[in-house]
Amino acid sequence: MKIVGVAACTVGIAHTYIAQEKLENAGKAAGHEIAIETQGTIGTENELTKEQITAADIVILAADVKIAGRERFEGKRIIQVPTEVAVKSPNKLIEKAAEVVRNK
Amino acid sequence: MEVKDIVDLKTVKTNMNAKTKDEVLNELAHLLLENGYITEIDGFMRDIYAREAEGQTGIGNYIAIPHGKSAYVKNIGVAIGINKEEIPWETLDGKGVKGIILFAVGNDNEGANSHLKLLSLFARKLGNDEVVKDLLHSNSSADVMEAFA
Repeated sequence: MKIVGVAACTVGIAHTYIAQEKLENAGKAAGHEIAIETQGTIGTENELTKEQITAADIVILAADVKIAGRERFEGKRIIQVPTEVAVKSPNKLIEKAAEVVRNK
Repeated sequence: MEVKDIVDLKTVKTNMNAKTKDEVLNELAHLLLENGYITEIDGFMRDIYAREAEGQTGIGNYIAIPHGKSAYVKNIGVAIGINKEEIPWETLDGKGVKGIILFAVGNDNEGANSHLKLLSLFARKLGNDEVVKDLLHSNSSADVMEAFA
């Protein structure tokens, strides 16, 4: 399946990027296509394209703060968790996302 | 510049024998002071502890990433400590930590975008199990730098 997501932590220096790396690795390892945008101190990076969002089966928001551009995901299935869930259990989170898509 | 260039051999310490979080943070903060990254220990530590109070900085796998934005930071950088024994820390997996990466980032980062970008790529590597394994097995500053290469 296709997953897109956003990672954003309070300070925007560390957890955001660790969550991105862990989610992307866990997603790819499970055979999914995954792209995670980061919103940190440096600003938005790896910004999701309209095409990526349209094609996505599910959206994962790993965020401790209000994310910018949430309206882009309107009408999509969204899983929202704190960044520490993505850092601690990325594989479980990806499994959960797959489950949600299966049970749609 | 490459990601590993964020690592300054002068602010890396391996085979540490610290027993507490406070001890290791102090030691690493002194390295940052001596090498011109921060202007003061006390103020910097207050800002680091303010972030510690907000939530766990132990990300699991024996790694902790104390950080916070501080007006006492002159240059963006990191200090890295590899401790011989586990130190008690607030962590996501309930274990202690052996690898401590102390981030120094200022409040005002104007003109520092390329450094911040590098720091974000560096942080990202801490989410990679292979990098973490190499980091924890480091016996020298050069090993630490190599872990991020």
